[in-house]
Amino acid sequence: MRPEIQEYNFDWMLHKSMHIAFDSLKGSKKEYQYMLNYMPYFKGLMDLLGKYDEPGVLFIDMVKEVVDEIVFAHDQGKKLCMTTFCLSPIVLLAMDVVPVVMEPLTVLPTILWKRGTYDFMNYCIEAGLSETSCSSQRGALGAYLAGLCEPIDFIVFDSGGVCDTNANVFAFSATYLNKPLFQLDYPASFLDEKTKEYQRKDFRALIQFLESQTGNKLDLQKLRKRLEETHKQDLLLSQIDELQMLKPNPLPPIFNLFMYAGRFLATSNPAYTTLLEAMLQAVKKNVDQGKSGLQSGKEKCRALFCYIDHYSSDARMWNFLDDHNVSHLGSILSRFFPDHAPYLQDDDNNSGYRIQLDSLDDMIDSLTEINARSPMVKSIRGPYDSPYMWLEDVLAFARLYQADCIVYSGTPGCRNTWGMVKPFARDTEKHGFPTHILYSDAFDERVESFETTSLRLAEFFRVRQLI
Amino acid sequence: MMNVIKNAAFDLNNDSITAWKKQNRPIVGYTCSQVPVEILYAGGILPLRLRGVGIQGLDIADAYYGPFICSFPKAILQSMAEKKLTHLDGAIIADGCDSMRRLDECWRRASNDYPHMELPFFHYMNIPRKVSDHAQEWFIYEVHKLQTALASHFNISITLESIQKAIQIYNKSRQLIKKIASLREFNPPKISGTEAFSMSLAAESMLPESFQEHAAAVLDHFATQSVEIRVGPRILISGSAYDDIHLIQTIENAGANVVGENVCFGPSHRANFVSEKKPPMEALMAHYLLACPCPRMFGRFDQRLALLKEKIQHVQANGIVLQNIRFCDLHASENGLLERELEKEGIPCIRLEREYGSQTDTGRLRMRIDAFLERIA
Repeated sequence: MRPEIQEYNFDWMLHKSMHIAFDSLKGSKKEYQYMLNYMPYFKGLMDLLGKYDEPGVLFIDMVKEVVDEIVFAHDQGKKLCMTTFCLSPIVLLAMDVVPVVMEPLTVLPTILWKRGTYDFMNYCIEAGLSETSCSSQRGALGAYLAGLCEPIDFIVFDSGGVCDTNANVFAFSATYLNKPLFQLDYPASFLDEKTKEYQRKDFRALIQFLESQTGNKLDLQKLRKRLEETHKQDLLLSQIDELQMLKPNPLPPIFNLFMYAGRFLATSNPAYTTLLEAMLQAVKKNVDQGKSGLQSGKEKCRALFCYIDHYSSDARMWNFLDDHNVSHLGSILSRFFPDHAPYLQDDDNNSGYRIQLDSLDDMIDSLTEINARSPMVKSIRGPYDSPYMWLEDVLAFARLYQADCIVYSGTPGCRNTWGMVKPFARDTEKHGFPTHILYSDAFDERVESFETTSLRLAEFFRVRQLI
Repeated sequence: MMNVIKNAAFDLNNDSITAWKKQNRPIVGYTCSQVPVEILYAGGILPLRLRGVGIQGLDIADAYYGPFICSFPKAILQSMAEKKLTHLDGAIIADGCDSMRRLDECWRRASNDYPHMELPFFHYMNIPRKVSDHAQEWFIYEVHKLQTALASHFNISITLESIQKAIQIYNKSRQLIKKIASLREFNPPKISGTEAFSMSLAAESMLPESFQEHAAAVLDHFATQSVEIRVGPRILISGSAYDDIHLIQTIENAGANVVGENVCFGPSHRANFVSEKKPPMEALMAHYLLACPCPRMFGRFDQRLALLKEKIQHVQANGIVLQNIRFCDLHASENGLLERELEKEGIPCIRLEREYGSQTDTGRLRMRIDAFLERIA
């Protein structure tokens, strides 16, 4: 790693960036417009956040709070847990453990900093991690491996059985950093009793691990409060999600990012509830006016992202969609399967989770069920064409949300989806949905520049006569 | 005798398989070293580890798999499409790793385009990635599921007694492989790495009794005859699945002796035999789950490092080749950690990335091996 990079702590830089972004957005319109001149490399991102007024500001405020927690965790006597986006953070937060979620912490500097996270990604290779590993963790992980952050205390991941490259990164880090490790391991099946029983036992083992690491028992009242807030957030998410079914879709494309980033970083934090309330208001305003969430107000195409988004520098994907009048109908990241979700209305198999608060045991079961439906954990744990898995979910979403097309965006590090995305795409095409596979890396523009990626996307939209 | 062994090791339709097939007896392929073969053999089914040796390209496999995928499962798919595995009556796809587990879908989809690929028995086997009590229960549950599926499809009975007998039969093969490995402990070794590893491969590619007969004869030959092997640096190969002798030949042609492998082919992969004293299911679980040295078992690096060090000491290796197939992140990352730990203790290591199959990258590999041997000379 270049010596100058090692002069600054990664988490502190992120902390400062978030505060500056927040202060800029909180200024007067005139101040903000003037400030944009001094932000040539992330003007688009700031503009993206700024143009939605309150939700944009609240989003940065929420993230700022999360990064502050990470930076000051040890000063406040809290433990830091390195983890992954597919682990619901509720159990950690309820035990006063601060989650350090690698993927969002990779995305933030990737879209915000001119140099992205390349130096940190490269450092992972220096440390011994394979260069073909998933880039989604590597952006932040390199800084942690290099000791450029507040040191983490232990590691928890839940991608065993779901995504090897994800799980492998955390197992590698535990050895490299010599930290205690716990993994939740998932069977390939989803709703059968044997699977449920395994998940219950596994999640209880996680709680035991956390109790041994923190020296604290899981507090019933704190957990109840966290779950009550989560339920409130779930209801808001369901309302927002339901409005996405309307034509035109009243959600601005970037709102999907707000939804899942909040879920990964701040589930059960009041700041996330406030953000969701503001988003719902903004969306309802569009509904009242019969307007699309796109800046032009006109929707030409509705795109469902079947996997993840593309996190180029300056967050150009969302502006690209906006510029081309393409609505974003969400991705694998933005749906969490509570039983009241609009997409589970006709579900006779009770495949959604229900938050139950009667006893500690019920609450732990609820956490288990929430986690079993986290992005990736639910839908890519088994063969893609098995019941409740990826194909079934994507086709159901595509129909319900009246998608005109499906876009796969991922990373070359994703063995799991690259192992079957070609037959998957053939299947979605057979069902009448034009499907495009992006060969870029959602977190690393060195694989393919966003200019190329956007040209390919534009070509897809044009050739398939979608816009 | 060695010719029979070599034929079995490198021909996917070898004589032993043909003879078995002539008796109208079923053969089932499996993808991962964590599948307990004893269950199949107990039911009169010949288990064969699926491999892709001898294919010349991956054009068909690439139509189903994406580009960023390990070439090993692709090679299996290609072999199947090229009608190189026509003897199979069934296949077990275990979720050893993400690339391998997606062979399930790619194979099924390819069967639509290549009908000969469709097998009457096709089973997906889930294997935990941890060793907690509930993971052990789960593994046994999966083995029972496999047992039931095989019994029902092939209309056979798989009893605990027959499993116990199969354990004894396979342990006999393990015993022979161990004896062959002991010939490599001499300096210079009494058997070349190429020949010794061929024996390991043959053990997974033929009828166990037939293997034992031929292996015993080979063992006699090597134990009693003097074989001309020059003294050279002693190399141990570790890492991704490896099932051809090309890399070993390249190393031995460069003047070194390959004295051991720590890869998931061959029954010598694990340290121990399957216990004949424990109840059969528990014994299989202990062997195939608890003693599994694959990095897919997350959080067990220390055990794997200890096992590797033990092997290094046992064969008195002077250098370690840590190889991985491109896109095998599990082994590639583990190799990074192993290199750090072993070099710290003064054990020279080289990390090599390669593609599955022989004759790929020979020049590059040879150059790097020459440099490594220069370093440890």
